[in-house]
Amino acid sequence: MTAPVLAAASVTKTFQLGRQPIPVLRGVDFAVAAGEIVALLGASGAGKSTLLHVLGLLDPPTSGEVLYDGRAVQHLSVRERALLRHRYVGFVFQFYHLIPELTALQNVLLAGMMATPILRYLRERSERRRRAVALLEQVGLGERLRHRPAELSGGERQRVAIARALLAEPRVILADEPTGNLDSATAKGVVDLMFSLQRQRGLGFVLVTHDEALARRADRVVRMVDGRVVG
Amino acid sequence: MYRLFLALRYLLTRPINLLGVFGIALSVWALVVVVSLFSGFLAVIARHVHGASADVTVSGLPPGTGWPGLQAELRGETNVAAVAPRVVHYGLLHRPGRRPGPPALPGRTALHGGDQPFLFVLGVDPAAESQATGFAGWLVDPVIPAELRAADPREPLRDRGDRAAVLVGLDRMRAEGLRPGDELVLTTGTMRDREDGARVTAQVQIPLVVAGAFKTQHGGFDGNNLFVGIEVLRRHLFDGASVVQEAAVRVADPQDLDGTAARLSRAVQRAVDRGDQRARGIAQTWRQKNAGFLESVEHQRALLKIVLVVILVTAAFLMLATLSMMVTEKTADIGILAAMGGTPLGTTQVFLACGLTITGAGVALGLGTGCITAVYLEEVRQVLRWATGIDLFPLEVYNLDRVPWHLDPWWLLQVTLMAFATGFLASALPALRAARHDPLVSLRNA
Ligand SMILES: Nc1ncnc2c1ncn2[C@@H]1O[C@H](COP(=O)(O)OP(=O)(O)O)[C@@H](O)[C@H]1O
Ligand SMILES: [Mg+2]
Repeated sequence: MTAPVLAAASVTKTFQLGRQPIPVLRGVDFAVAAGEIVALLGASGAGKSTLLHVLGLLDPPTSGEVLYDGRAVQHLSVRERALLRHRYVGFVFQFYHLIPELTALQNVLLAGMMATPILRYLRERSERRRRAVALLEQVGLGERLRHRPAELSGGERQRVAIARALLAEPRVILADEPTGNLDSATAKGVVDLMFSLQRQRGLGFVLVTHDEALARRADRVVRMVDGRVVG
Repeated sequence: MYRLFLALRYLLTRPINLLGVFGIALSVWALVVVVSLFSGFLAVIARHVHGASADVTVSGLPPGTGWPGLQAELRGETNVAAVAPRVVHYGLLHRPGRRPGPPALPGRTALHGGDQPFLFVLGVDPAAESQATGFAGWLVDPVIPAELRAADPREPLRDRGDRAAVLVGLDRMRAEGLRPGDELVLTTGTMRDREDGARVTAQVQIPLVVAGAFKTQHGGFDGNNLFVGIEVLRRHLFDGASVVQEAAVRVADPQDLDGTAARLSRAVQRAVDRGDQRARGIAQTWRQKNAGFLESVEHQRALLKIVLVVILVTAAFLMLATLSMMVTEKTADIGILAAMGGTPLGTTQVFLACGLTITGAGVALGLGTGCITAVYLEEVRQVLRWATGIDLFPLEVYNLDRVPWHLDPWWLLQVTLMAFATGFLASALPALRAARHDPLVSLRNA
């Protein structure tokens, strides 16, 4: 077993609702290794999304450590954490979060622009474009490059989001109920696609779901109940 | 890179942002055109005023100052090329036996004169005056028709018997239908000692004969002044004494004008000061002497600048409004930007880039159209007059042959900086609001 790419050690997260503390993560230990698919299973409100956000450095834990390749990241600056997130993590969300003004191709390209200075980007423009087109072809949207999100179906939008998550060549995919908004046939296609891309690239993969059948296809299932990992 | 890319995509998909572009362009355009017009006007007016003035004028002399002494003092300054004596008086100009009443509102249109008979009379020595000022040229200006010219421009002030020759401004000649040879009277007054020793005002009537017209480019000068021989005024007002009230000075090196005037002031005061605070003698450059007039034009330009900057600020508010709308719409995107490795600072910069792009487009458009309009304003005036009969700018009043313009690079730079400063402030507000938006709120909500 390889060393974990991303890990959480004794992570707690408590939200403050007015003066009322709401403990959402109550000491979570979690790890995902390269090439490994972990299904994060739990009822709605169990804290799955919150754990994903903490792992992806979108939200700092109230206590405990988040480790990237075994290194703690809590002391890093906002900028450094953003860069780490860009390099390590590709997010896929239930509601796609594509930018409506951009075409499918531009949405994918945008992921590559995030940490690139303008001059370098312009120099590498054609190469980056080639890679984005190749990714969109891999997810089956080679004919839809110039379509806006509004002109795509739910499944197609999620495929664009998957291509976008892969463009920056992350080490881990964090997918938060990526099929939650899709019918079961489309969902199966999207999951098959994600798994095959994950296997090709040897990525770590955290798949948040409350679908038991889907979870069984993962290498490992982690169940969450009430902010704790059980079993 | 994503900041500029997103900013451009956001802008290009929202035509409403053209409002901000046009608003800023319009105010920049106005700032360029109006200030160019005023600066050009000011430059021309200053040239005209200078053309009708001596480089340096010495005035405020104590009563009874003699010319030979003053002349020697002025010639002692190395930068003085020529000097001419003047006696300056005032009076009512009218035809014999038809003395008009005083004007209802004296000086009401003093800028141009010409419509009231209360005038300054300059007693000059034509030969010396021609050396010290543009006097000789004023008599032979091409616009003066032959029948109104002085018979002999080299000796224009030839008296006829007891009637003293007088030169009248061309416009006044025309307005009053005067021709050379017409008889006029100047009614004025002077202070005299009565037998009992009291000083009283005595009326003086000077019989005149029109010698010809003069024309400078400065309408205000022509309308308010007459020329007669200096000896005429000395005879009628000072019992023939060789007194002088003003000296016109031409300098050799115009670069040193202010320094020369300051040195002449000191020299004159050393020579003539008799302790009278109001009459110690002072040398003023043509600019200083006409400061009131020139500064009033500059003052108007400054006021207009303020008004136009207010328009610029209004345009920036317009942009603030459209940007705020956009930020409200686009908070949904802030979550995914963060997830892809963006920072709050990056979000701020996206919307700042939007504002600065709008500003930049507006400034470029405004500067471009403004400069073109400024240069071709004369053509615009002609087309407008031809099409609507409205005249934008009364050229004749100011002796101009076209609408003046002057594009000062420093002013263009100032306008650009002001526009970007206001544009920056107007986009900073919505941009900071965007940065404070929690990305997780966007990510949790569809
Ligand atoms: N900003 C917040 N303030 C207060 N409570 C929150 C906040 N974000 C999430 N929660 C709460 O945390 C709990 C866990 O949420 P979440 O991690 O989204 O669960 P899951 O993804 O497993 O459905 C929920 O009860 C939710 O209401
Ligand atoms: Mg969730």
